Formats: sequence, structure tokens, C-alpha cells
Amino acid sequence: MAMIPPPFDPELAAALEALKDMLPQQLTMDDIVEARQGPGVQLLAQLDLTMGGFFEVEDRLVPGPEDAPEISLLICRPADPATPDPLPVIYHVHGGGMVVGNNRLGVDAPLAWARELGAVVVSVEYRLAPENPHPAPVEDVYAGLLWTAEHAAEIGGDAERIIIAGASAGGGLTAALALLTRDRKGPRPIGQVLLCPMLDDRNDTPSVHQMAGRGVWDRTANETGWTALLGAARGGPDVSEYAAASRATDLSGLPPAFLDVGSAETFRDEVVEYASRLWQAGGVAELHVWPGGFHGFDGFAPQAAVSRECRGAQVRWLRRLLGE
Amino acid sequence: MGRMKELAGRLSALDPDAGAAVRVIAYFDTLADARAGLEALVRGAAVLAGCPARLVDAGRRAQVRVEPDGRRQDSDRAPDPAWPCAALEPGGIPALWLERDGSGERSVVDAVILERAAGALRVVLDRTRGRAPVSPADDPALVETVLDPTATERARLHAARRLGLDPDDPTTRARAFAPLGGRPGILSAPAGAGLPAGRVGVGPAVPLLGLPGSWEGARTALRFTAEGTAQDPGERVVHADDLGGLALLAQLIAPGSEPPPDVRDLERAAADSPWMLATLQAVASTASLRAAATGINVHHSTLQDRLAQAETLLGWPVRTPRGRLRLQLALTMRHLARG
Repeated sequence: MAMIPPPFDPELAAALEALKDMLPQQLTMDDIVEARQGPGVQLLAQLDLTMGGFFEVEDRLVPGPEDAPEISLLICRPADPATPDPLPVIYHVHGGGMVVGNNRLGVDAPLAWARELGAVVVSVEYRLAPENPHPAPVEDVYAGLLWTAEHAAEIGGDAERIIIAGASAGGGLTAALALLTRDRKGPRPIGQVLLCPMLDDRNDTPSVHQMAGRGVWDRTANETGWTALLGAARGGPDVSEYAAASRATDLSGLPPAFLDVGSAETFRDEVVEYASRLWQAGGVAELHVWPGGFHGFDGFAPQAAVSRECRGAQVRWLRRLLGE
Repeated sequence: MGRMKELAGRLSALDPDAGAAVRVIAYFDTLADARAGLEALVRGAAVLAGCPARLVDAGRRAQVRVEPDGRRQDSDRAPDPAWPCAALEPGGIPALWLERDGSGERSVVDAVILERAAGALRVVLDRTRGRAPVSPADDPALVETVLDPTATERARLHAARRLGLDPDDPTTRARAFAPLGGRPGILSAPAGAGLPAGRVGVGPAVPLLGLPGSWEGARTALRFTAEGTAQDPGERVVHADDLGGLALLAQLIAPGSEPPPDVRDLERAAADSPWMLATLQAVASTASLRAAATGINVHHSTLQDRLAQAETLLGWPVRTPRGRLRLQLALTMRHLARG
């Protein structure tokens, strides 16, 4: 099978060229510790979470899963909301390949939505692999959602209007969270936003092979992330759907989904397939495949025309979902 | 691995060092290789510079302006002549601007962005919109007619209309300009942009039938220009409107004529020290000696020493009001007496 990859969008190709020394590509197990202490830690600390004073920001420790440590929630609520009524809540799960990152990573995207929509953002910190393999990360994410639903009023939120959202590994955990809340009859989010989500531990689709060694987060890095989470079970017959949502056999009864992905990234085919299976199960889903997009392009090169379209589509979907 | 832009650092946070210049070059090379369009190239300039960028190629009807966050936002405001800018062709008029206050030192990174973006834009424009047409404003025969006082009024107004000027609007004003060694040109007033690089004299803004007079003013103003170098200090662009009574000097001193005695004194002093002319120009053209010292980057006492030496060589003072006027006139006459 010929492995000619789709070309990157011109603007994204230029951004990739300019950023290439700083981008993760072929992450291996040996690189994880270094990646966690990369130059970004400082930059993350400088991120203005108030978005120029729009949000009041609070870090809160809440109970974790049974017999597990507490977890930290970053809570950002509009300082001067337009309405006294409870606000929609965006429950955010950060990315980082299951192995790096914290609840600041990528939170600027949901903060930007929440500023436009007048919503509360809750971003959950979860334990990272490989020190904490499955199910630690997804159980932390579930525990954070439980607290958020039970205490929504306390943070100015509406428990009936929680949207769960995440990018990359965070998108994968968000998809798994939707399955988990369905099966445990837990809180019912009204929507799931899966941005370039990491769904399939088998790491064997055509796009995985096509993009090996190219762009951001290639096959090697993907294998590293999944192996950190699942150990020797990765790719085998016994992987839980709450670790890798692509493994789920039943995708019915899930909240409406928004999915996006680049055409030039490892995750393209698993995301397209997941959207198709949501429709086949009678579900509601909107899928965007952005031509020439590499993994996380809209975050790395937010000014590019295709990134602006991508971010715009996310907000427009949320607006329709919330009936504004 | 997801949204690690905070981990990776944004393009807009590039360090203003040599590494940044290398990245700028790689950025535009990649855009060009991928056959990116005009907007992507202008956006690249805006994003990398961190300020709005603007392309205006009137001849090929291309106008693109992009904000540093990537938003396309065209503007009717005329470009500010102080903004860093670049032409698409060597010696051409400016076509790409970085909308940045130009009063500070021009940065190396800005220069690289402008050079690379302009080069890539030229290729795209040539590919997609053909070679730059001879826009009517560049048509020498039409310009010549409008500037020719012996042509009939009817012929001049007809030519003006073809140049894009509106003779039917009584408020229409235009000015002629005279580049050194180049063809005459016409600008609709009050637009400030569009002058070629190098030494240019600019005539007064006049109704269209007055353009032959504006052209005469422009040629006179050209004689007052200088290269702006240490050996030929002075202004590269001179407007006839700014000359006032000084313009009369141009009638008294023919180009290539025997220089007046004060100019010969100046040449003698200039032959003595390489800093002489630039120092005297600074003194003649700034409000105070202190400002003059700052302008040429010397200590105040150094300037005083230099001026004492200059006064000895010239044989007349330059620090008295009368002496300063004499110096200004001598520097001006030096330009006028050139061949």
C-alpha cells in the first residue's frame, strides 16, 4: 500500500517548520520525564487564566476516586456574568498523551469559548501514566465530573448543562467519560467535544502508518502514550473501552458529539471511524476533518486561516447546542 | 500529544535574534514551496512581526491587510510613510508595510520579514495576476502630456483622466515629483505614499491644469536634495512647499556654475576631516547644539572642539545666529551648484 501522506496546509507547513525543534514527534518512554519538565512549564505558569479579568480563578481540591488521593480542579467563572441564572459548565480534560501536562494545558481554548458563551470552565487534574496506569486517569476524570455535577450551584454552574471537552489524550478521556457516565448512570453531560481525540490503542490505521515520522505525535509517540497507560495489554484483546473509546462495541445513548481532526495526522482515521459509528448507533455527531491539519494545529498555529475556521466551528456548535 | 502550544511557544513569541531570522526565512520558504496565496503570505508577515501587515499593489488590484491574530481586515487609511516597508521590485514603490511605529531603530527581523515576504509575494502576483502591467500612472507619454505647458488644455485633461485623475471634480489636486535620474511622476494629493526610493523633489499640490508648474517646482526641489550620507548630508526628499524663499536661491545659482566663496570654504573644510560636513549639517538642521551632538552621536564637548576647528578653516563663525544662517545658506548653495 502506497503511503503518500496528504500535504500539510501551506500556512501550517510553515508554522511546523518554524516550531519543529519545539514540537513533540517521536516521543519514547525515555523522553517522558524530560517532556514533563520542558520549557513550557514556565509558559503555562504565565498563562493569564483570567483572560484579562473576565474570569475569577480558583484551584480547589476535591475527593478523588475511592481509596485514591484528592484531585485538583481549576475553576474559572465569569467575574461579572451577564445573567444571575446558573451558567453552562465546560468540563475540560487536558491533553498530553496520557503522560504529561496539567490542568492548565490547552485550557485557553475552553476559556475562549466560555468567554463568548458566558460559561464556567472546570479543568481537571488527573494522575498520569506510566506511574498511574489505567484506570487511574479516567477514574480521576470521572470523580472530578461527579463533584462538578453535585456542586454546580456552588460555582455558579448549571448541573443540567454540563459539556465535557478535551483535546488529544483529553479528547480520548472525554469520550471514555461519556461511556462511563452512560454505563454508571452518572451525571448526564449535554454534549461531548472531542478535539483530535486519542481513541484507539491499536495504533494501526492507515493514517497512523501514513503519518509515521511526520508532523506532530506520530506512530512512535502514540505507541509510547498507549503503552504507558496500558502496559503489555496495549493492542491486545483485553483493553477496556474506558481506556480506549474505540474499543466500545455499543455507542448508543451518548450525548451529542463534536469531533474534529486534521487530515494529515495520526488520529484522522480513528476519529472519522468513531464519528461514523456514532451515526450508525443512531447518535448525533458533527465531524470536521480540516485539510492539511497536523495534530493540534489550531493550538500551535492559531492565526492560520484553517485554524481560525476550526476554532470558529467549535464555538458555533456550542452556541447551537446551548440554544443561543 | 495535543495542545502544547504553551509548551512549544508561539510563533509570535520568536526571539528577536539571529535564530529568529533563520526561522523567518524557513517560514516563508515553506510557504513559497507550498504555493501559498497572497493572504497567507501577508498573514505570515503580520504573525511573525506581531503587528498588522499590508500589501497594496494598485497596478494589479491586490490589497490585503491582516491583523497579528490572523484576522483579515482591510483598511482605507493611507499607509503611514514612517512604517517599515518594502517594494516588490528593486527600485519600485513600496507595496508591503508592517504597521509599526517607525520612529525606533528598524529591527533586523523586520527587515528579513519584509524582504522574504515581498519576494514571495512578487512570485505569487506574477504567477496569478501576470507581470506588473504598465499602470497608466507609469505611462511616460501620458505623464509627459500632463506636465507639458505647451500641450492644449484639452489634451492635458484627457491624459489626466487616463491617469486616473478626475478633471470634473473641482477639488481634485495632484502633485508632480522628480526622481533623480528617473522618469517624472504624478501623485494624487494628499496621498503621501508612492514615491520611489532615492532622491526626489516633490512639487506643490495643484489643480490638474497647474501640473506643469508643480513639475517645475519638483525639479527645483530636487536640486535641494542630498544623498543623506556623511559626504553628502541632507534630506533625500524635499517638498517645494517647504522651501519658501530659499527657492529663490535656485535661480541665482546655476547647476555646475562656479561655486560662491562660502561653498569653496566649505569644500576646503570638508577636505580636512571626514566628519566635517555631517557635523555642520547637524548643527545647521537641529534646534540646539545639544540636539546636534546627540544626532551625530558625539559628546557635547567633542562637538564644541569640532566647531572651533571648523570656524578656523571656514574663517567665519557658525555658532552665532548670523553665522548659522550663513552656514545653512552655504550648505544649500553647495547642493545647488552641483552639476
